[in-house]
Amino acid sequence: MAKVIMKTRVLTLLLLHLLISVFGKLNQDSIDKNLVNSKVERKIDIATHLVKTVTSITLENKGTSAIRSFLFALDPSLKDNLSFLSAVTKDNKDEKLEIAETSVAGLSDKRFFRISLLSALDGGKSIVVEVEAIYSHVLKPFPLEITQAEKQLVVLDTNLFFYSPYPTTSQTTVVTTTNSNIESYTKTKPVSQSDATISYGPFEDKAPFSESQLRVHEENNSPFLTVTSLERVVEVSHWGNIAVEEHIDMRHTGATLKGPFSRFDYQRQQDGYASIKNFKTSLPASARDVYYRDEIGNISTSNMKELDESVDVELRPRFPLFGGWKTRYYLGYNVPSYEYLYYKGDHYALKMRFVDHIYDDMVIDEMQLKIILPEGSKNIELKTPFDVQRKGDEIHYTYLDTLGRPVVVLSKLNLVEQHIQDFELHYTFQKFLLLQEPLLVVGAFYLLFLVVIIYVRLDFAITKDEAKESRMRVSTLIDEVQSAHDRRSALYQSYDDAINKYKTSKDAAALTSSRKKIDADYKQLTQQIQNLQAQLKAEGSEAAEKVAELQRYDIQYKEQIGLAIAAAEKLVLGKLTRQQYLDTEAATTSKCEDTYKKMESLRSAL
Amino acid sequence: MADADLVVRNDIRSAMWNPGGWKSLLTFFILALAWLAGFSARLFAVIRFESIIHEFDPWFNYRATHYMVENGFYNFLNWFDDRAWYPLGRIVGGTVYPGLMVTSGSIHWFLNLLNIPVHIRDICVFLAPVFSGMTSMSVYLFTKEIWNPGAGLFAACFIAIVPGYISRSVAGSYDNEGIAIFALMFTYYLWIKAVKTGQVFWSICSALSYFYMVSAWGGYVFIINLVPLHVFVLLLMGRYSQRIYTAYTCFFIVGLILSMQIPFVGFQPIRTSEHMAAAGVFALLNAYAFLKYIQNFLTKSEFRYVFFAAVAISAAIVFVAVVGLTWAGYIAPWSGRFYSLWDTGYAKIHIPIIASVSEHQPTTWVSFFFDLHILVCAFPVGVWYCIKNVNDERVFVVLYAIFASYFAGVMVRLMLTLTPVVCVLAAIAFSKTFEVYLKDDSPKQNQKNLDENGENKNDRLYDKVGNKKKIRDEKPKDEEGLGINVKSIIVVALLMMLMLFAVHCTWVTSSAYSSPSIVLASYGQGGSRTILDDFREAYYWLRQNTDDKARVMSWWDYGYQIAGMGNRTTLVDNNTWNNSHIALVGKAMSSNESAAYEIMRMLDVNYVLVIFGGVIGYSGDDINKFLWMVRIAEGEHPRDIREVDYFTPQGEFRVDAAGSKTLLNCLMYKLSYYRFGQMQLDFRSPAGFDRTRGVEIGNKNFELTHVEEAYTTEHWLVRIYKVKDLENRSEVKTPHRPIKKSKRKPKRQTVKKAGVIRHKPKITKGKKIKTSSAKSTSRSSSKPSAK
Repeated sequence: MAKVIMKTRVLTLLLLHLLISVFGKLNQDSIDKNLVNSKVERKIDIATHLVKTVTSITLENKGTSAIRSFLFALDPSLKDNLSFLSAVTKDNKDEKLEIAETSVAGLSDKRFFRISLLSALDGGKSIVVEVEAIYSHVLKPFPLEITQAEKQLVVLDTNLFFYSPYPTTSQTTVVTTTNSNIESYTKTKPVSQSDATISYGPFEDKAPFSESQLRVHEENNSPFLTVTSLERVVEVSHWGNIAVEEHIDMRHTGATLKGPFSRFDYQRQQDGYASIKNFKTSLPASARDVYYRDEIGNISTSNMKELDESVDVELRPRFPLFGGWKTRYYLGYNVPSYEYLYYKGDHYALKMRFVDHIYDDMVIDEMQLKIILPEGSKNIELKTPFDVQRKGDEIHYTYLDTLGRPVVVLSKLNLVEQHIQDFELHYTFQKFLLLQEPLLVVGAFYLLFLVVIIYVRLDFAITKDEAKESRMRVSTLIDEVQSAHDRRSALYQSYDDAINKYKTSKDAAALTSSRKKIDADYKQLTQQIQNLQAQLKAEGSEAAEKVAELQRYDIQYKEQIGLAIAAAEKLVLGKLTRQQYLDTEAATTSKCEDTYKKMESLRSAL
Repeated sequence: MADADLVVRNDIRSAMWNPGGWKSLLTFFILALAWLAGFSARLFAVIRFESIIHEFDPWFNYRATHYMVENGFYNFLNWFDDRAWYPLGRIVGGTVYPGLMVTSGSIHWFLNLLNIPVHIRDICVFLAPVFSGMTSMSVYLFTKEIWNPGAGLFAACFIAIVPGYISRSVAGSYDNEGIAIFALMFTYYLWIKAVKTGQVFWSICSALSYFYMVSAWGGYVFIINLVPLHVFVLLLMGRYSQRIYTAYTCFFIVGLILSMQIPFVGFQPIRTSEHMAAAGVFALLNAYAFLKYIQNFLTKSEFRYVFFAAVAISAAIVFVAVVGLTWAGYIAPWSGRFYSLWDTGYAKIHIPIIASVSEHQPTTWVSFFFDLHILVCAFPVGVWYCIKNVNDERVFVVLYAIFASYFAGVMVRLMLTLTPVVCVLAAIAFSKTFEVYLKDDSPKQNQKNLDENGENKNDRLYDKVGNKKKIRDEKPKDEEGLGINVKSIIVVALLMMLMLFAVHCTWVTSSAYSSPSIVLASYGQGGSRTILDDFREAYYWLRQNTDDKARVMSWWDYGYQIAGMGNRTTLVDNNTWNNSHIALVGKAMSSNESAAYEIMRMLDVNYVLVIFGGVIGYSGDDINKFLWMVRIAEGEHPRDIREVDYFTPQGEFRVDAAGSKTLLNCLMYKLSYYRFGQMQLDFRSPAGFDRTRGVEIGNKNFELTHVEEAYTTEHWLVRIYKVKDLENRSEVKTPHRPIKKSKRKPKRQTVKKAGVIRHKPKITKGKKIKTSSAKSTSRSSSKPSAK
């Protein structure tokens, strides 16, 4: 555990050096001798695992020229642990003062921030400024190791006086502890302790940068939970959804567990005061499809409550976290994009929280935010509420991507609850690109079908199967025979029609002409069938014989038709009586029907 | 005009009533539905729990797949896993059938190529259900070749939902069998095709499919023995033909060479007895072909003489060669696993570790019905039909049925190889029966034509040797004399049975085969469900809060899970290749604490993990498996561990006050029951009441000296202990005494010593086994050397 803290410390220092070397030369201030802290009230809250200080400074300008800004120095004991700093004036608490890290020549070992006032402070005037600072990993467990049944004791080691580049006339310090179980505290007078507060001061007239030890050793069983690494991935889709997934590495950074963990004692006596059983995460109210899992699957121990302004997820890690134990999990959910994504024409703006709530009084040592934008987004511009490090953009490939989606990668160290603020990401996206993916799918299917169509229609065999081809040829020939025969059968009908017409109109010329016409068709069809029969014979098919038989029947039929026409002519010419004609007609019709049936059965048997 | 109309109408009619079109559409839909039904029937576990890898072996397969996906195929082949079998390690690439990993790895690769980011876990989870669909396709093709497409459809539907197959292929059961059954049936289909056509193409295809099978599962031995057996029987039946010669020689040569490309198989196909049958049949077939060729040049009497001489000489040569090579050590003799297939008692006496596995037990009659339901009754009918209308390929299916039934009777897990053939034969039985009883009584001309066509087709399939006359004679007899009522009653009864079969399948799948076994669910009185996630709780604790190189000792059942979920080094795991190492762990578990401490120090153990079900009444815990640990330890260390010591003088295994003192003081007992004696589960039972065994434990108040509790899960299911380091200072003499005292104490309490001596000569190991309820869980890296 100590190692990790060291590591983070080294990291912070490195970063600090970097910052100093970059900004140092540009941002250098000097200490204004005319400024005096006439009254300072400091509140140090160590009820949780964070150290929250609120310092109310009455700043007095003893000079004549107006002053626009003043310097705020970090206490040497806390300077590497600063997470968050903000300042307001007492009169106007809504408007935050601008803060910038700076340095002072000759005092390079100290950390300074320049706080710019809203309006210039004229000579002789004074103003009350409230500075809120939050430090993490300041409270050290003491003893470092405890057993399961022991309570956790922590120690705060800091400066009793307000650490300022300016002289301080009068100051008080109030320390709020977790509860009244205080082992020991520095007894620099004047001091009083009641319940969970220790009040020091007032101390008069302290020189700039004056120090004196303040040490409080107290019982603190609040969850010493630290997110050692957070990766937050926001995936924006223009189809109406934003998917958020957080990969969280978590560690209990309090006093480490010494000796065994006994489940029996844990269940029966409800001890393990310093252990963390569960915690609550608040998600946006519109969060849907929440999942809570890790590398080996779903973590079945969680509850979800949907409230009006948020979705509260009560998360229980797989095992209770004792000091030094760690765990790792993924939490993900979807939110509708209309709440976070704004657009005007092709210009889009994403406005979301840079970091979201994980648990109350959270500490995040290191976080990375990845924003995956839709494919084809361009001109990406970022606005953040605080300084973050922007790393090189990456490319992410997912469903149906061709060029990949741009990913904006941001990282920041040391975050607390106060960092839950919105960032803005502006980019342009051409709307017609939305069609790209559906078209891709359509195109793929189209190609697939096309390939199948081509494959089915072409012959890829490297050898010829004679028998099969002959069979196929025969079947096409038979088809042709059948269709020709069908047409021929239709012609028989035409003959009948012609005869009937002739019988009523008695127009011999019309009969001959229509007969000629039909005869021509008929001959052609018969010839065609004849040819087909020859071809079938060449293929050696049995069907050839059947076709021949069909032809024979056809000749018979034709003969009958000839007879019928002759009879009809005779009737018209009066050579036959009506009765005789009817008899012959009946005979021919029955014969015709007979042959017709035979032909049909032959045709279908082909 | 009129004629054109007529033609058009005719065309439409022919298209509408083209039977080929309807048939293929129907076939397509039935197969698609079978696939869908098979897939969704396997999703119970995913829907009830989550997309998770089940049980034991799948965790190793998943871990190996994950490794392959991350490090590439060649690194996977060269993978030396230093997290298993500490301190020996395991050469994974050379001791694993890579087919499964390669299959899912290539699916993953392909999907990633299309930028479809599917996690490899999901591919692993859904691989078996997807392959079950492919299995039903190949069973359809197989049955189609054996009988007809109608029976094929029945078979495809049966295999899709039959519990005997579902048991190994539910979603999450990521095991070799999941893809191997597909490979098995597909190889058989291609083999049948090769036998029928005599084409080199089909026989090479079947060799390739066989290669896939070899890469996927040790059960490939079943193929490489069944196919030669088929050829051999065909020879005996006088059904030798050029087709069989072509099919078998191509299959054997290509298959042999391909199978030797799998690192794990290596030279086994030419060096072990299990594979010798194939080579023998290959030699025999060639000799036979040669004789056939000689026959052309000789007279009958000469030939007879030459024939007998040749047969005698070749048989003698083959026999002498095999025996000689075996004796000289070139061919390994039959392995113990193989012997255990013939003699079910063999494993219990010689290899307790094989006998300890629950799925290696002989099958009960009940489980045949449970896994196959109505099919097990219909299946002999199918065999009968096949024998009655025998031809080359039906000989194969009959042989398959006979051998698979035998092996399924010997070992529970081999039920899996029986299931497909049962489906095929039952499908034939049903199809044939429906063919008879669903037929319309009035003999229409068309129908008859169709019948004749069908019969003609069948005849074409038959060999000339078949007796088609008889069949024709019998058929009309069947059709006569049955009224429409009898027929419809029988049809309805059969349909009812099939419906019950479907209901049974769903019920069995849902209730018996769909538990991931690493997540348990219990139901409260109000029907509310509680999830007991203790296994993952413990494994995740190990993963997060122990040193990366920590060594965890546990019984081998949990080795793969610890490696897969906990990502920690294990001493023994489910790949039980080193019996003495397992015996050492067994010895540590069954020794008293200080003796165990020495072993654990020797093995560099940091943590000990035991499964304890006494709080929630989980029966598969370590105390119930404990006798097997003792037995396996005794096999290697008969002087230190004696099974007899763990029984009461009456020969009972009990953990209450009457239990044997050795048992009540061994490490396993202490680790399971540490501080359990103080725990009162409810007001009716005394403190320290073990729910699994239903007794109050015998040894309640003891402290641990060399280990300390490191973690116990919420329901006490998994208990992890940390092995303490040696003390800084050498201990003073006095602390030694309490240990001695504690040893003496029990002696004073009961007359244990006398009991042990009295019973020692009487007890034989074989008998004891019956009294124990020991049950170890699955393992499968072993080859089911079927036949």
